[in-house]
Amino acid sequence: MKSIPRRKFIQGAALAGGALIALPVLKACKFLDAQSSGNYFLKEFGIDETLCRKLLAKALSKGGDFADLYFEYSVSNYLGLEDGKVNQSYGDISLGVGIRTVKGDQIGYGFTQDLTENSMMSAAATASTLCEASATKAEASFIPLKTGNYYPVDPDFNGIPGNSKLPLLQTVNEKCFSLSPEIVKVSAGFSSSAKRIMIVTSDGTKAEDLMPYGYVYSSVVAERNGKREQAGWSLGGRRDLSYYTDQVINEVATKSVNSALKLFDAIQPPAGEVPVVLGPGVTGVLLHEAIGHGMEADFNRKKTSTYTTMLGKKVAEPFVTIIDDGTNLNLSGSINVDDEGTPGQKTILVENGILTSYLHDKISAKHYGVKPTGNGRRQDFQNYPIPRMRNTYMLGGNATADDVIKQAGNGIYVENVSNGEVKIGEGDFAFYVSQGRMIENGKLTAPIKDVNIMGNGPKMLENITMAANDLEMFQGGGGQCGKNGQGVPVSFGMPTCLVKSLTVGGTQQKGGQK
Amino acid sequence: MSYNKDQQLSFRELADWVIGQTKKAGANDCKVSLSKRRIVEINYRDRKPDVIKEATTQNLYLEVLINKRYAGQSTPDFRQSTLAGFINDVVSNAKMMEEDPFRTLPDPKYYEGRSTADLQLNDPDYSKLTPENRHIMAKTVEDVCLQKGGKKVISVEAGEYDESYDELIKTSNGFEGSAQSTYFQAGASMTIQDEGDRRPEGYNYIGSRYKNDLPPLEEIGNEAVRRTFDLMQGKKIPTTKLPIILENQGVARVLGGLFDPLSGGSIQQKRSFLADKKGKKIGSKLFTIQDDPYIPRGLGSKYYDGDGFPAIKRDLLIEGTINEFLVDWYYSRKLGWEPTSGSISNLIIPPGTRSVDAIIKDLDRCIFITGYIGGNSNSTTGDFSVGVIGKLYEKGKFVQNIAEMNIAGNHLNFWNKLVEVANDPWIYSQARLPSLVIDDVVVAGI
Repeated sequence: MKSIPRRKFIQGAALAGGALIALPVLKACKFLDAQSSGNYFLKEFGIDETLCRKLLAKALSKGGDFADLYFEYSVSNYLGLEDGKVNQSYGDISLGVGIRTVKGDQIGYGFTQDLTENSMMSAAATASTLCEASATKAEASFIPLKTGNYYPVDPDFNGIPGNSKLPLLQTVNEKCFSLSPEIVKVSAGFSSSAKRIMIVTSDGTKAEDLMPYGYVYSSVVAERNGKREQAGWSLGGRRDLSYYTDQVINEVATKSVNSALKLFDAIQPPAGEVPVVLGPGVTGVLLHEAIGHGMEADFNRKKTSTYTTMLGKKVAEPFVTIIDDGTNLNLSGSINVDDEGTPGQKTILVENGILTSYLHDKISAKHYGVKPTGNGRRQDFQNYPIPRMRNTYMLGGNATADDVIKQAGNGIYVENVSNGEVKIGEGDFAFYVSQGRMIENGKLTAPIKDVNIMGNGPKMLENITMAANDLEMFQGGGGQCGKNGQGVPVSFGMPTCLVKSLTVGGTQQKGGQK
Repeated sequence: MSYNKDQQLSFRELADWVIGQTKKAGANDCKVSLSKRRIVEINYRDRKPDVIKEATTQNLYLEVLINKRYAGQSTPDFRQSTLAGFINDVVSNAKMMEEDPFRTLPDPKYYEGRSTADLQLNDPDYSKLTPENRHIMAKTVEDVCLQKGGKKVISVEAGEYDESYDELIKTSNGFEGSAQSTYFQAGASMTIQDEGDRRPEGYNYIGSRYKNDLPPLEEIGNEAVRRTFDLMQGKKIPTTKLPIILENQGVARVLGGLFDPLSGGSIQQKRSFLADKKGKKIGSKLFTIQDDPYIPRGLGSKYYDGDGFPAIKRDLLIEGTINEFLVDWYYSRKLGWEPTSGSISNLIIPPGTRSVDAIIKDLDRCIFITGYIGGNSNSTTGDFSVGVIGKLYEKGKFVQNIAEMNIAGNHLNFWNKLVEVANDPWIYSQARLPSLVIDDVVVAGI
């Protein structure tokens, strides 16, 4: 069923309920070779330039500004541990091509899982139905796109036999139980995928990429005096198996266990407006929701974003610089090339407090007369690309974390966040705090949990009054951003910073009245 | 990779072949799920097609059991030549897993007793819907939104979406089930100019199994306009405690936090705050929840569940007391319980007698909650917190729209404050729930 138009971030691996959509990952697959990324679809499926020209000609047979072909082959695996045993293996293979015809901001789109000429021509014909004019010509040849490599992986990363991953999960399980006698249940998962893509465009570009993605997670339940709490943590990104060292496994287990134990003492803060200090790292979800989505250029060209009229204007204090970046090494949102053939790159959204750029795909870039920023992303070949974030972060300031907490006076400190959502037109956003602390008289005190925090994006930006020099990027895997029914991996980063005022949900009114 | 013969027969033949090959490859048991889906989507914006999308997809999901070891894998490639390698891969994966004594196919006795009633899930007129019809549907909804929205309108995106779905599931120990269904959806999202830079975005999308069950397109457009204009000048008010009314179509956003904890998996994994609450009261006398798979044309209606058990009508909660957990075959074995069914179909709360308007008139001060933002629910503790959007009323009179506010609570006491159920079940969803009145809720704002 078609999804309603909402924008959400779901940190899959750290959901409070431990819910996890088991998809992508790698099984031993002889055909995905990181070192020979060129001409993969030619070698495996016979997709040559002559056929691409034919498909593009069909897609443009009734006119259109341009057309593109997006070939995808991905293999994903998930291994799950429960009750001490690695007893679940799930896998998925995805293969197909999506064919798009674009005229102005209009899109015709057909896709097929069947890479035979007849079936692909039929998909191209579907895309062409958008137009009713005479044919447009595609370029006669395709120049391979040069890109960076932001996720160098072992050439054999996809050929690792599944049974060599089992010990990772067994170690996570043992480590979690060894850390505390109060741990009563552990579940863990290892997810990995390899996605091979090729984009061929009517303006003569051909781009290929091989994108690794995966994570390890653990989720634990602790019991104390008949009361139970749960927590989890994950680490991952666009990496190969060599990343999952003992140190990484230890960190996943330790953070899960410590977080769960801390919750026994947690309280719910009083409801209402208070100063909020965002701890470093995962709290970057706030940037993602409060500014990132509103800066996606499709909303702005349609004039539906609250940021539509703010380009070039002061939106934050001069120390605030916010970046969306596809070039961070190995992060979940990193991309060598976006899904319509623009190289991965870094885009400054807010520079010294001034709103400087939207996040563009080709359609919006043409609309605004600027170059695409490499943000045209899609979930898979069944979907056409739209502007999406990659890794979104704010640069650090000059203060220390202690200074920021002290400045807050009385408020709350956010340590971990599980999900968020934004309403683009109003700018109102929410994010769910699974872990945090009260701040009383400038000091961190009682733990807090399970609180939704609400705010308004532009107001929140104005209200960032202090930032520490401790920018940290979220290294977790499993984080998915949802928009128009499409999920893509993203990451974010944040230094410790102070937001003067946000609304904290709760069951207690200020002053202790229940 | 096409499979050209008669769809149903071909699916069965292919399933039999896959089961045979999988057993030859060493599996003790297996389950094959085959599906094919056709989708069409047409969106209009600025009185011209914004997106035209059409495709057919297929999927084969194979689950393998070998010496109490388990693996599952899917592929879109139905060619027998490549399926042979695929089957070997899944069997190899299963062999790699650790032994799990609870992992088996269900005892075949649980497959018996499936309903033969016609649930009317498949609109026989699906193929009569032409491209022209689809364009007219999208254009009609767009026209209404643009005309009724007037000068305030910044953007309207109106669309039609439909799909046709076939599936066949077969196990090596005697289960076979098949279903065909259709789905139609029409609606619009629109953005209008509010004060300053605020541009509220509202929407109304309605879906049904049969095209003729959709409300008139003009009505769908009008409702999109009404819901969008209801967001104008939404502001937060000081934190307050008062009765709230959860609008019918959004009730599932809060109620949904109960279903994971009701599941056998959560209970066995000690992640359920309801684990010891069977037979105990967790809500008021009005809090009865039924799971009914037999509603003709229902969006959650079905003949069998994920284990192949016949879908049955059941009471999950009766007058506030938990009557049944959602226990699938695997977790029933781990728990040592009888299985029920791990999945839900159509959810029903018996409706009351009064409309929301009548209820509001009788309340001194209340908030009618029409939208949500963010939020989550903790299955282990029952705590939840979610952002809300809605309308404030005093003595039956509308005061203002509210936004940027939040409700929170624990499911164990929240549903005890259910004081009235309205007479307006929302039928365009699997959650066919009426509006609910909850007393004494802290709504956080300024």
